[in-house]
Amino acid sequence: MVELDSNFIMNTVFPRVMKAALWGAFTFMIVYYLPLSLIPSNIPQNILPFDYRAQLFEFAMISVFFAIAGQLFSKTVIGCGFGIARAIVIVAYFLVVSEGGILNLTVPVSEYTLNLTIDISIILLMIIAVNLLSIAKNLLGAINILTEKSTDVNLK
Amino acid sequence: MKIATSMLTVATVILWVVILFFSVTAVYSVMNVGVDIGEAQMFPTSTGIKFSLPFSISNEGYYELADLNLTTRVTDPDGAVLDLTETLVDSIPQGETVNASHTIEVDLDDILSMNHLTLMLNDSNFTVEIFTGLSFARAIPVQLSTNVSLPWGAPFADFAVGDLSVSQRNSSYIEAAIPVSFENHAPINISGTLKLEIYDSSDENIASGVTGINVAANQYYGDNILIYARPQDESKLTDIGRVHILFETPLFTVDWWENYG
Repeated sequence: MVELDSNFIMNTVFPRVMKAALWGAFTFMIVYYLPLSLIPSNIPQNILPFDYRAQLFEFAMISVFFAIAGQLFSKTVIGCGFGIARAIVIVAYFLVVSEGGILNLTVPVSEYTLNLTIDISIILLMIIAVNLLSIAKNLLGAINILTEKSTDVNLK
Repeated sequence: MKIATSMLTVATVILWVVILFFSVTAVYSVMNVGVDIGEAQMFPTSTGIKFSLPFSISNEGYYELADLNLTTRVTDPDGAVLDLTETLVDSIPQGETVNASHTIEVDLDDILSMNHLTLMLNDSNFTVEIFTGLSFARAIPVQLSTNVSLPWGAPFADFAVGDLSVSQRNSSYIEAAIPVSFENHAPINISGTLKLEIYDSSDENIASGVTGINVAANQYYGDNILIYARPQDESKLTDIGRVHILFETPLFTVDWWENYG
């Protein structure tokens, strides 16, 4: 039975929650508000065939969730697990959103319909590569934590 | 182990920075590509018509635009390909403007050799499929395609042959008049010789006549064309029959059959 220790809450839990909240807010700013401020506001909405704000918001929510979870469980095996899960979810998200790297858009322009195909597979490959590195890093981190625990000598 | 983890962290951060930098600069570059399409021009050529579409692309972005390919395919309502033209621009370097022109040559001989007589007699609609492809920064291929319907005006639209009427007789020939009318819906003048050959029920040529015509674009033509027959064939010049029409120009020859009367 774990007893709630006020010192443990104030010294360990509270700083972590605060740090996680700050990281969540910072991530939301970087992932959602920064790209929105870079996209010109005078783009007519009917030119873009998808709701980029909604998709950006979805990605921001995923990023914020994993940023908070990662900070709450930082330097633990569970935190490394969240890191690996984040990498897998981001790869899956980009694969789904980019339709496997080939974006097909239908843009109505006056009485014509333009079919636009953009092959962003090279960017997708870069995202997959960086997330594979992230998985490797988190795996090594988890192994490192487990190794340190197994080699700790309790002299009490 | 910690060093390896740190190195992986550094590599991950660097790769994310590269991805973000490339993405942001690519979007900025795309927004700074200017495409200016000029006014389409049409020229008559020795073999048909030439359409020319001048365009210029200014690349004020950070990356090169390479392998620009503009392809147009013109098909008739049956799907037969009338023209397939490609315009290639190897490279539009960063900061430069390239002027080019996409030219479609419609060869009337080719159209006629493909047995497109209906296109000479009936207005129609061509489908122009436009494909554009380029390689952005030689890394991201982009393709754009659309379909445009192009109205085709037949040079012998609403062609009609009226009733044959004998106008003059003498000992050496019989002269008859046959009214012919049509509208030139084509964007070019129709100039040449129109020959009419009258055939009887046993497919024997019994009379013929030739006239020169010169019909401007979008103008109506209507005239009585004189035909001549031998006196002994007068009884075969009936009110109804078949007429073989031959139209000859320096560019092309076209012939077809009509019923008169």
